[in-house]
Amino acid sequence: MFSTTHERGMIYVLAVPGPIEDVEEVRVLEWHGTAGQQYKPGDLIVELETHKAVVEVRAGQAGILRRILCEASVWEKAGGLLAVLSDTPDEAMPASWDGLRQCEVAFEIT
Amino acid sequence: MPTPPRFRILPKLLMMSSDREPQTTKVFFREAIARALREEMRRDETIIVLGQDVGAFGGSYKEFMGLHKEFGKMRVWNTPVAEAAMIGLGVGAAASGMRPIVSITYMDFLMLGLDPLVNYAAKARYKTGGQLRVPLIVKVTAGAKGQGVAHSQCLESWLMAVPGLKVVAPSTPADAYGLLKSALQEDGPIVYIDHKRLFQTPGHVPAEEYVTPLGQACVRRTGTDLTIVTHSYMTSVALDAADRLAKHGISCEIIDLRTLMPLDMPTICASVVRTRALLTVEEGQATCGVGAEVAFRVREAVGSVLVGRLGALPAPVSSNPILETACIPDAKRVISATRQLLAV
Repeated sequence: MFSTTHERGMIYVLAVPGPIEDVEEVRVLEWHGTAGQQYKPGDLIVELETHKAVVEVRAGQAGILRRILCEASVWEKAGGLLAVLSDTPDEAMPASWDGLRQCEVAFEIT
Repeated sequence: MPTPPRFRILPKLLMMSSDREPQTTKVFFREAIARALREEMRRDETIIVLGQDVGAFGGSYKEFMGLHKEFGKMRVWNTPVAEAAMIGLGVGAAASGMRPIVSITYMDFLMLGLDPLVNYAAKARYKTGGQLRVPLIVKVTAGAKGQGVAHSQCLESWLMAVPGLKVVAPSTPADAYGLLKSALQEDGPIVYIDHKRLFQTPGHVPAEEYVTPLGQACVRRTGTDLTIVTHSYMTSVALDAADRLAKHGISCEIIDLRTLMPLDMPTICASVVRTRALLTVEEGQATCGVGAEVAFRVREAVGSVLVGRLGALPAPVSSNPILETACIPDAKRVISATRQLLAV
């Protein structure tokens, strides 16, 4: 829904999606893009490794990758923050990620 | 295949207890297993892996991932669903100079392969006056996790009663690695028991190669009022209970057996001599269980101390989550068993 109706000029956080059964912690396998990368809905953003599978995290809305918070091979808990995205490339980055809206994602476990 | 040396010379590995932490890497439990196998398979080409889905699929818990690709189908064999044949093949291969690891996904189905394991593998050395050795590992996954009566059991105490078998049960990725490395250097059959609920918790594993010696328990938490002896997944349940009991001034020492046979009685007894109270905690049945054996040996060695045991209720483990939870020990039951034993 955000892809069509959200306000312009927002900053979002990308969190470890879920819930995924039994997954307590994931390890970032590979980012598909660096800061500045533009995604449209459906684009693969990042692959995460769980204890028995790979989770493909795809954009659920258009956005631009601004900052990666967890590089490849770094661990993060379920629900933890992976990256910051925004609608346009020039929105000022806030001092804290608290209270930011979550980026819409679709994820698939393979 | 080359003829393996009759008596293996242990490679120069750091012998250490995995609770010490030098340079470590955080890994999934499955990766600790795969790493131990990968390192040993590179060193010793008699090591082969047999099991259902161990090939390109990488194992039911992905614990064999990458091995088929690196070592090929001659060393990583997919087998049919035929446990007696799988273990029988393993016993024969081991007796003729190979070093097989046979993966039986559910410990419940080890029953189908008990004849070759118990009647042949465990007895071959004795029966042949030491001429035949069977360096076989049977790896099984025990424990309850929503899969019902015939996919949930912990049958380790059955195996402890078989002369000639060794039994190990890691509770952390570090020990999953270290115990498998040790097992892969043994000259006799070993049952290696992991647990469905251990796979989801990652842990730190030393970056350097090491082995966790067989027969050495690990004190996971020190305490003064009570010794809790446990193993496998129940270690984390006991640690959770100990955290909560500490808030009420009850200090528990937690011993993770790691090897169930041979039992590390010196470590257990040294603890009970201080605390004068022993509670055994296991997920399997308490009747003729691991705890019954530990408790008897403790009483033999150190005399009269308080003894309690906790295991599953004498009922099948249901796939109904409420009944499953009711059946197997949790932190709450460890706490009430402790309070009852110490009368506090």
